[in-house]
Amino acid sequence: MKTHDLEIGSTALLDSPVESGSVQPAANSVFRAIIGRWWVAFSASSLFVVSGHLLIKAGLNAATASQYVGFARVVHSVLQVEVIAGLLIYFLGSVCWMIAVAQREISFLYPLSSINYVLVVVTSYVLFSEAVSLQRASGVAVIVLGMALMNRRAGTASA
Amino acid sequence: MNAKLMIWASVALSALAQIFLKHGLSNLQRAIGANRSVLSLGLGVIRQGFVWLWGLCFVAATGLWLLGLQKLDLSYAYPLVAAGYVLVSILSAFFFHERVDRNRWAAVVVISLGVLLIAGS
Repeated sequence: MKTHDLEIGSTALLDSPVESGSVQPAANSVFRAIIGRWWVAFSASSLFVVSGHLLIKAGLNAATASQYVGFARVVHSVLQVEVIAGLLIYFLGSVCWMIAVAQREISFLYPLSSINYVLVVVTSYVLFSEAVSLQRASGVAVIVLGMALMNRRAGTASA
Repeated sequence: MNAKLMIWASVALSALAQIFLKHGLSNLQRAIGANRSVLSLGLGVIRQGFVWLWGLCFVAATGLWLLGLQKLDLSYAYPLVAAGYVLVSILSAFFFHERVDRNRWAAVVVISLGVLLIAGS
């Protein structure tokens, strides 16, 4: 087990319910069938994390057109339905991420999770018409490259 | 507070939260030992001050994120989250004396470059 994986602590917590789930074998096997595959949990996590952030931003954008000013405006924008829903969906994505991490090494999942940066930037360009400059796009590309280096085997694979 | 500063503070607090959570859960593992029932786990978590600190940082980071994001593009703010990997790597090497290999430091340098490109965009 790798020592520098911070999320190991949280997977230790996840182990317990799965083990104690053997008391209810049916529920346990359903659990395993649905989220027992790392790529299901990983894809769900990406989907939820990206759509959560988009929803939050959509809510904040909608609130900028509100009639409130000052602090009332801040409170009003944070209390948008989209913002709350986005936070919940993002939280669900984090849970899925922990389920994926419980099954595969983090050094394997981190490079894959960099797809989230690409998805968020592309979708905010398409949906919110944000101005994505060449510099911003290359920044994302460099981050993806950097995260690919997190794979322990990256050094040997490229040699 | 300026919006960009709020996003940076949110990213830094998230990284700090990870360190607190890791420390709290390691303490918890030592505290409850082999008794891993849901009850002892639940009670153990509540008794860990560092888990509470994690919660506090998490809430503050989320609040700052929402406030900062009001005035910034999502395509600008979201990639800055990647700075979290850099901070967590440095903090865990410093506080937990975790071994960070050469690949990991290379990744940290490259990700930092990407984040700087985004920050200047």
